[in-house]
Amino acid sequence: MTSTQPEAFRRRSSRRTEILEDRPVNLDGFVEEWPEKGLVAMESEFDPRPSVRVEDGRIVELDGKGRGAFDFMDTFIANHAIDVETTEASMAIPSDEIARMLIDPNVSRRDVLAVSRGLTPAKILDVVKLMNVVEIMQGMQKMRARRTPANQGHSTSARDNPIQVAVDAAEGALRGFAELETTLGVLRYAPLVAIALQIGAQVGRGGVLTQCALEEATELELGMRGITAYAETISIYGTESVFVDGDDTPWSKAFLASAYASRGIKMRFTSGTGSEVQMGNAEGKSMLYLEIRCILMAKGAGVQGLQNGSISCIGVPGAMPGGIRAVAAENLVASMVDLECASGNDQSFSHSAMRRTARAMPQLLPGTDFVCSGYSGVPNLDNMFAGSNFDTDDYDDWNTIQRDMQVDGGLRHVREDEILEARDKAARALQALFAHLDLPAVTDDEVEAATYANSSNDYPLRDVLADLKGAQSVMDRGLTGLDLVKGLEATGFHDVAENLLTVLRQRVSGDLLQTSAILTPDFVPLSAINDANDYAGPGTGYRLQGERWEQLKKLRHVTSATNPETEVG
Amino acid sequence: MTTPAGDRTVSLREVGPARRGTREDEVVVAVSPAFAGHFTKTIVDVPHAEVLRQLLAGIEEQGVTARVIRVRDTADLAAIAHLGAKLSGSGIAVGVLSRGTTMLHQKDLPRLSNLELFPQSPLLDAEVFRKIGSNAAQYAKGESPEPVPTRNDQMARPRWQAKAALLHLKEFECIEADRGPVEVEPAFELSPA
Amino acid sequence: MRLVVGVDVGNTTTEACLARVGPEGAVAYLGTALMRTTGVKGTPENADGAVAAVRAVLARVGPVTDQLHAVLLNEATPVISGLAMETITETIITESTMIGHNPATPGGVGLGVGVTVPIGELLGDRRGVEGSLIVVVPHGWDFDDVAATLNAAVRDGVDVVAAVLAGDDAVLVTNRLEKPIPVVDEVAAVEKVPMGMLAAVEVAAPGRTIRTLSNSYGLATVFALDPAQTRQVSPVARALTGNRSAVVIRTPTGDVTDRLIPAGVLELRGAGRTLRVEVDAGADEIMATVSRVAPLDDVHGEPGTHVGGMLAQVRDTMTDVTGQPASEIAIHDVLAVDTIVPAEVRGGLAGEVAQEHAVALAAMVSTDRSRMQAVADLVADRLGTSAGVGGVEGAMAVRGALTTPGVDRPVAVIDLGGGSTDAALLTASGETTAVHVAGAGELVTKLIDSELALDNREVAESVKRHPLGKVESFFHLRHEDGTVEFVDEPLPPHVFARVVVMTPEGLVPVPTRHSLDAVRRVRREAKRRVFCVNAVRALRQVAPQGNLRALDFVVLLGGSALDFEIPDMIADALAPHGIVCGTGNIHGSEGPRNAVASGLVDAYAEESA
Repeated sequence: MTSTQPEAFRRRSSRRTEILEDRPVNLDGFVEEWPEKGLVAMESEFDPRPSVRVEDGRIVELDGKGRGAFDFMDTFIANHAIDVETTEASMAIPSDEIARMLIDPNVSRRDVLAVSRGLTPAKILDVVKLMNVVEIMQGMQKMRARRTPANQGHSTSARDNPIQVAVDAAEGALRGFAELETTLGVLRYAPLVAIALQIGAQVGRGGVLTQCALEEATELELGMRGITAYAETISIYGTESVFVDGDDTPWSKAFLASAYASRGIKMRFTSGTGSEVQMGNAEGKSMLYLEIRCILMAKGAGVQGLQNGSISCIGVPGAMPGGIRAVAAENLVASMVDLECASGNDQSFSHSAMRRTARAMPQLLPGTDFVCSGYSGVPNLDNMFAGSNFDTDDYDDWNTIQRDMQVDGGLRHVREDEILEARDKAARALQALFAHLDLPAVTDDEVEAATYANSSNDYPLRDVLADLKGAQSVMDRGLTGLDLVKGLEATGFHDVAENLLTVLRQRVSGDLLQTSAILTPDFVPLSAINDANDYAGPGTGYRLQGERWEQLKKLRHVTSATNPETEVG
Repeated sequence: MTTPAGDRTVSLREVGPARRGTREDEVVVAVSPAFAGHFTKTIVDVPHAEVLRQLLAGIEEQGVTARVIRVRDTADLAAIAHLGAKLSGSGIAVGVLSRGTTMLHQKDLPRLSNLELFPQSPLLDAEVFRKIGSNAAQYAKGESPEPVPTRNDQMARPRWQAKAALLHLKEFECIEADRGPVEVEPAFELSPA
Repeated sequence: MRLVVGVDVGNTTTEACLARVGPEGAVAYLGTALMRTTGVKGTPENADGAVAAVRAVLARVGPVTDQLHAVLLNEATPVISGLAMETITETIITESTMIGHNPATPGGVGLGVGVTVPIGELLGDRRGVEGSLIVVVPHGWDFDDVAATLNAAVRDGVDVVAAVLAGDDAVLVTNRLEKPIPVVDEVAAVEKVPMGMLAAVEVAAPGRTIRTLSNSYGLATVFALDPAQTRQVSPVARALTGNRSAVVIRTPTGDVTDRLIPAGVLELRGAGRTLRVEVDAGADEIMATVSRVAPLDDVHGEPGTHVGGMLAQVRDTMTDVTGQPASEIAIHDVLAVDTIVPAEVRGGLAGEVAQEHAVALAAMVSTDRSRMQAVADLVADRLGTSAGVGGVEGAMAVRGALTTPGVDRPVAVIDLGGGSTDAALLTASGETTAVHVAGAGELVTKLIDSELALDNREVAESVKRHPLGKVESFFHLRHEDGTVEFVDEPLPPHVFARVVVMTPEGLVPVPTRHSLDAVRRVRREAKRRVFCVNAVRALRQVAPQGNLRALDFVVLLGGSALDFEIPDMIADALAPHGIVCGTGNIHGSEGPRNAVASGLVDAYAEESA
């Protein structure tokens, strides 16, 4: 029978404790370290000590292990990721000296790369372990591959509504995302939604690159057909056992990477701290050590970049002491081995708005190639990547922080009339294109709803069956990016057709295969080749100034200095 | 409306090596090494006593019998559930880990496949465990139950992801290699609240 | 020698037939092609699909585009159809008189008659608890606690005769009771059960149905009713028929009623008069009225009803397509079909579902304002060849059908489409008549969807198109004809223990608790009520004096003629009229496809001979 404890026996809490208990941060989970099992961010005595030995032009010892004891990760890294010529010299440099090179403005990025290409995973860990979070940011400021920072957005729909994906992509492109990605609830919707993303992006701002995250075969096919422009969701892991569980090896992933390269399609791998311990196969190594193995594996596979920053496992380092420092460090390591870094901040991370913001500072303040590898360009309830660290509700906060700190986080405030115009045009372009390609109709009501909508709840329901049949017909009929171009041209969306065609032409030039490549609004590829990061201390490198700074000074409400009774903008 | 219930506890008494069942109307509930032993509740504090009671109740309500076994040499859910299925007279088993993650398995399926999987342990409560037991029994009877709806919560990640990893590692610690599965008899006790 | 292509623009597909026509009118068929129709049939948008079909058929036989002499299109009028469904009955329970939801696992067996009492009153001093009791258990009570509470009360001499539970606990509770009683569970709105009322709970053994509460005199016996009262409760008894368990509560004015929902009026105009029929009168009455005004000139529905909205929408769509004012567009045919829709009972305590009656209505408009000449001009322009309208669809179809081996005049064709069923007749003397009637494949899908409560058109369409099976283990499945098929590789888990549709892409589970036989029955009945009924209806309209016996050969054409059972069902339906009926085989090789396209070629050859 129920009984209630007498009031007197209950521990009494202070009013303040009650208030603190109710703070959102206390909904987050935190756990103690357990280094023996790999449940530790980056400081573990169970990680290997750095070492390397070269015999006959071949690495025969790596981080305390002889070649005979190598697992396939060691073998791949030793054979493909480490420069045999320089490794012994690089490894001879004391770790603190390399750490200082990373933050010393007098040492150029190129000088650091000359050393880092010879470092083993344990040595790299040894180096970044010496750095506090401010030093990590300093290092990132210099080591980021592209001089100009950028941002990436998600455009998805809880109902997989292609019109929503198109208009939110258009708005996101207009607000500044250089890349946009989507994924699905119902996978068979993919062809329609990928088309919608591409059209929306090219309406918002010509030259924005798009991708659709799917299982690897379909993702590759959509890329090869030119319906998407890049690929990102090719996951790699830091231990052999996790790789094997996924029926994969470093070589199979490298093979997939070459399939993309063969068609001039930009691609990057994805990895992150915490994934191995999450699957119970950390082999007793720290999260950051295993992530460094991933980073070097990506380097060895020859891909131009990596999406990391824990990504979908962010709850694991997020719960560990120093975990977010480790996440900042993994981004830095990707940059210091000359990979493009799309630096996370892309998954629901905390119940606390304060923690969400703080978690992004090590990427936002120094700038990375993509500060978020998925800022949600839709409300999180529509985010089919399971929610991002930031969503559309945060647009104004993000813009304000950029203005406060005078840093470029890749976005800008855009007046509502411009946004409505872009959304309307994206919806109409999709309407015309679907009609032209004999895909399920987009009604005028849907166009109207899309222009003014916030979430998928604001749209008329679609005939899912007809949409799925349409999606299948895109695959069956073999439609390609060029069919989209032709359709847009035929239906009077000449400028959008031109934008898409120009993006497709990059396949032939291959410029998007360069490290950290994005396209400017003038369709100039901006990469580590022609926009190399030349940071060399105060007053150098990327500076938020001139026309771009004027753009970022604008917010939704700024009181005019000329006439304080009005607002500017 | 309160139910006049105190907290129940369960102890699993070992009665001998787990054998293959012969009754076609039985479902095996296969629990992990630390279930109702090293651990006493799931990741969201559902007592293991309640997990087991509700699974068994769901099976009994369908008129099907149940046997409980403990798997000791692995903490891999698919392996636990599949072993249970192979020992089950009907070929159907429920596998459950200490943190609450649950799977329905059938003996003829490949180990890495399953009939129904409930991966989001923080979202499993007594009611869901009852439905899982009920579905297991319906499969055993050759009926076509509606799959138990799986739930999703974007904010489960920040709250539970690391604890789930920790519990997973702890469960692995409780593995006793080379020890086969044992049949156990659950004894439920009502502890005075 | 001239190369010509006949092109048939249909509702969903555009077919092309390439042939070489000799000087004497000799025809050599070179190939065929099938593309999706672009736009609504009979509108200029068809040109894209027509051009694509011509190019496809030419590509199939080699580089001969430059020698193409003519493209022949069919005269096709736009046909637009619509569907609506009105539920016309509603079951209402007042004062929570009855619980008849048939839970999967009630507990115990037998009948208990007593006064309803909440279980809480069995705790404590049990003041005011006397006589025979039916214990009502709300949500939140654990099964062990319920059993313990009941056992304790019974041990103390309380006469508990039955129980009604909120949760799915009946078997669990009865397994733990010292004195067995019938228990009904899963009563979701148990808090609405009136307390202190005389009630009866009955549970039958597994596989049996209740005998007392489903019998009016049983109810009269249990509640000591007089003849007038017995008359009043007879709907309750009827509503409980076939259940394994039930609860009936005697309240002062409680009742179960079967109410007719007004679903509006159809106004049918034709044969110089206008008749009105209530939709809730049912399909038979509607169709009888339709036949009284044949030939139908136009139909209007009452504004604000589903049927009225659907008819208005069909009219609007045709206005959009043809540019003809709505006032000139007439609905030429309707088909009403009686169906049943499972619907939740109003006032029910446990989500009781009643099989309510509904009327499904298909309507069709056609227009004489075809724009095929415009299509022909566009095709001519795009292909740089001559193109023209080579013949009327129905006439061409019968001509094509004649190439089926074993067919002779007089021949009728039935084209089983998505929105309409079309028929045409070629008499021995060479005259043709054609007709479109409302109702075809889409209506069948709708009937399957609603009768099985699938609420998923994709699944319903799949059920319509393919045979069923039941996966009985990972290594074998039973087909709907009872045969068993064994497989080597285990079947995927999502089809395990389920009724599945055998699609060419693999097994697709049907999300239903109905048995394979029930699903099959619904599927076949839907096809019969639409296609068999329409085949007869359409043929009567083309047959001389409406006499089916005057027809000798009937050839089935169109996509649905490829269906695995519809041709057999129609043949069976026509057999009593002495008709030879079968699926067409155009040129002895094309199956039921390409009849119109090759008919166009043949007509051209005949003229040029």
